[in-house]
Order: sequence, then structure tokens, then C-alpha cells
Amino acid sequence: MDTSAEAERLRALRDLAVLDAPPEDRFDRVVRLAQHVFDVPMVAVNLVDEDRVVPHAQVGLGSGDIPRSVAFCSTTVQGEGQLLVADAQVDQRFASNPLVQQDPHIRFYAGQPLRAAGQNVGTLCLLDSRPRDLTAEQSRMLRDLAQWVENELTLSQETVQAREVQRRLLPSRAPDVPGLDLAGRCVPARDVGGDFFDWQRVEGGLQVVVADVMGKGMTAAILAAGVRAVLRAGSLFHDLATSLERTATSMADDLDGAASFVTLFAGRLDPGSGDLEYVDAGHGLAVVLSPTGGARRLVSVGMPVGADPGESWPARTERLAPGEALLVVSDGVLDAFETAEEAVAEAERLARRGLRADQLVEAVLERTSHRLSPDDVTVVVVRREQD
Amino acid sequence: MNEYETQVHGGVTVVRAPDRLDMVAAPKLKQLVDRTVQEGDGRVVVDLGGTSFVDSSGLGALIGGLKTARQAGGDLRIAAAGEQVTMVLRLTNLDRILKPHPGVEDAARGW
Repeated sequence: MDTSAEAERLRALRDLAVLDAPPEDRFDRVVRLAQHVFDVPMVAVNLVDEDRVVPHAQVGLGSGDIPRSVAFCSTTVQGEGQLLVADAQVDQRFASNPLVQQDPHIRFYAGQPLRAAGQNVGTLCLLDSRPRDLTAEQSRMLRDLAQWVENELTLSQETVQAREVQRRLLPSRAPDVPGLDLAGRCVPARDVGGDFFDWQRVEGGLQVVVADVMGKGMTAAILAAGVRAVLRAGSLFHDLATSLERTATSMADDLDGAASFVTLFAGRLDPGSGDLEYVDAGHGLAVVLSPTGGARRLVSVGMPVGADPGESWPARTERLAPGEALLVVSDGVLDAFETAEEAVAEAERLARRGLRADQLVEAVLERTSHRLSPDDVTVVVVRREQD
Repeated sequence: MNEYETQVHGGVTVVRAPDRLDMVAAPKLKQLVDRTVQEGDGRVVVDLGGTSFVDSSGLGALIGGLKTARQAGGDLRIAAAGEQVTMVLRLTNLDRILKPHPGVEDAARGW
């Protein structure tokens, strides 16, 4: 075996970060489907590691690793295309193999290499204890199914990482601020957008931020991490407008390079007086809700961060009366409604039910659960408690 | 006219955007605008007359194209934006730098 080629292959496999990962339904589904379509007792998505073959999904085989020295799939990944063994007992490459001689007495094997980053990292394989063959059409179908598995394998790599980055950006719990009731949640889309929210204590009260970085996946997640970090640090020393301007300046090149921009709402609330100072960079999805009905949409005239280098965002002011709540959402929520006005009317109805902040967040998320949007959904509520 | 087809109106290049200006289409449009700016004098009109939906990636391509055009001493204008596109531009206040022109002819006039 060419050791440098094998090293490349192993690197491609490790980069997928799927070895010894917990079972995933999306792979189990393909395996069950293949078992049914090809009418074979054993099917596996196998990952071929340095000295072992690891079933990532399987039916009829058991979930334990198989030493590479005896695994058919080891031969498959070293070849170019599909490996077909109609009857292993009469195939001199495999006739003396312990998996043929002993349990599970393999006679038939068909394996399609799974490629990632140009390398054969594993196989989708069909096995039977009876000899048989594949028709040309079945052979094509095995290739198609393998391609489906490849798509899933490579998607998971970027998505899993992006999800992890995004998850770590989110606060694990709300700070305890007397007089305020806070809750927030971000539900990432399948492909992970650039939503995040944040809160921190600053001079004069609590700062709350909801932002949506344009784009998907890792790029959006990394830009979101940058915006969050710069804004957090700046907010400790500067007023809101200055903090946002510094963030825009710091992030300008990164956002330009990725042809991205960020819509962002940030507010500072004095829990004692209910005074709210806020800036809005093209976000436009913040509203103050009264428990007795009525809603005031907060003014948004600024453009998103990164859209125009000359932009600034002068702070505006509002006041939350006791019992009133500030609701800020991302545009993923808006997708569930025909118009922004309709969304605000619905929020108003929900607010009249006298819910706690966490209940209001869940109620808004519930309203968006039917939509098929590819966008993240973020909802944050800060409610000033009744005196 | 086909998707992405370009035409020249008196020195101004008109790029026609596709039906859905989303994550899939946005990079293509951005590339096309960049190339148009390189080859011409930087005056570009994006015709949104056939575009029923734009998402944030689509907006990113338009803003990115606008920056490229302005750096080259030109500009990017949009024409014939539909209801959804107009709403998204208004919500994000991006209509301040991407003013919707009613039609391609209006957008191509008076540079």
C-alpha cells in the first residue's frame, strides 16, 4: 500500500469527524432502504479507518468494528469503483476469509466506495449469505444511494462545525437582573444561518443584542462570532452608538471580503426607570408590547452593518412601562407571516395573555414551527416586571 | 430574455436577475456584475422585473455589486423590483442606497 496515499485517505476520513460518532437516523434510513430495495439481509455504511472498518450505519451485521485485514470493504476502498463478489467461496481473493468460512458466511458482496475530498473513505455495501449478482440497473442504483450517503457525510462536516460555533455564541443562561424577566432562544436552520443573540450587564443596566449575519454555514458563524466579540468588548467602555460604530469599523474588511452584512438590534435598558436606549442597523424587528394590548414598533432607519462604510446609527430612546415587554426577533420569524404588520398583530395578541418572558418566547416560536423556511429563528423577550 | 442575460443601453449594462435571487443564484449574479464592471465603465442596472423572491444572500450580492461598481467609479441601480423585493429592501433600510427605479429605462437615464 502506498503510505502517503493512505495518509491522505485517512486525513479525508478524519476531517469528516464521523468516526465513532453516535448513530444518525439519516444514515440508518439509507441502509434500511437499501436492504429493502436489493432484498439482502445485511447492509452497511462502513468507514474504513487505519486498521479497522467501522460501521456508521448497518442492518443485520452488528455494530462492532471489523479488523481491516478481513474486511471486504478494505479491498473496495483501495479500488476505483464498485467491488462485486458474486460468490466469495469461489473467488480466490476471499474464499479463505474467516467471514466467508465462518459466521456470517458471506457469499455475496457488493461495495460502492464513498468519496470525500477525492478520497475513498468508506463504502456502502450489500452482503448476503447466498450467492447472487447485481443487474446493471441495480449496480447503478447502488452508486446513486452511495452518492446520497456521500452528500450526507460531507454536509455533516461543515454543518456540525457551524452549529457548534453558533451554539457556543449563545448565552447559556439569562443574567439575573432584579426587575427584569428575560428569555431568549435561537433555533438554527438545517444549514445554519448567522443568527445570534446576546446579553450583558453594562453601565446603566442590561444590554441585549439580536443580530443576523447574511449568509449560511461556517462563514456566517465565524462572522457572527467576530461581531459578537467586538460589540461585547466595546460595550464595556462606550455608549451604544459608539460601540456599534466601532464594531462596524472593525468588521468592515471581513464583511466586505465575504460579501456579507449584518442586521442588528441592540438596546440598553435601565431596569429601575424602564428607559430603553437602542440602535437598529437594518433589523427593524423590535417591538414593545403592552400587557393590555397595543404595540409600538421601534424605529429603524439605519442600514445593516457592512452595507455602507459611511453609515452611523444614532441611538434612540423608548420607555418600558411596568409589565411591558420588548420583543426582538430575526427575519426567520417574519417568514411565518404574510406581512410584518400581521406578525406584530399576532405578538400583540400573545402579549395580552400575561405570559412570562420564557412562555412568550416559546409561544412565538410555536407560531413559526409550521413554516418551511431555511432560515434560523431567534426570539428574545425582556419584560419589565410589574411594580 | 434569459436569466442573467446582459444588454447594453447607451453605455449602461443591464443585468437581468433570475426569478429567485437566493443563496444559489446570488454568487452567479455577483460574478456577473463584477465582470460587467471590469469590462464596462461601472454603470450597471440590475433588472429585477423577473424576480419574485430575494433573500439575504441575494441582498448581499446586490450590495456587494454596488460596492464593486462604486469602487470602479460607477454605480449600481435596481429596476422594476416587485413587492417582496421592495419590502425586504425597506425593512433593512437598504432602499436608501439601492433606490428602486420603476423600470430599466428610468434607471438607465441620467447618470
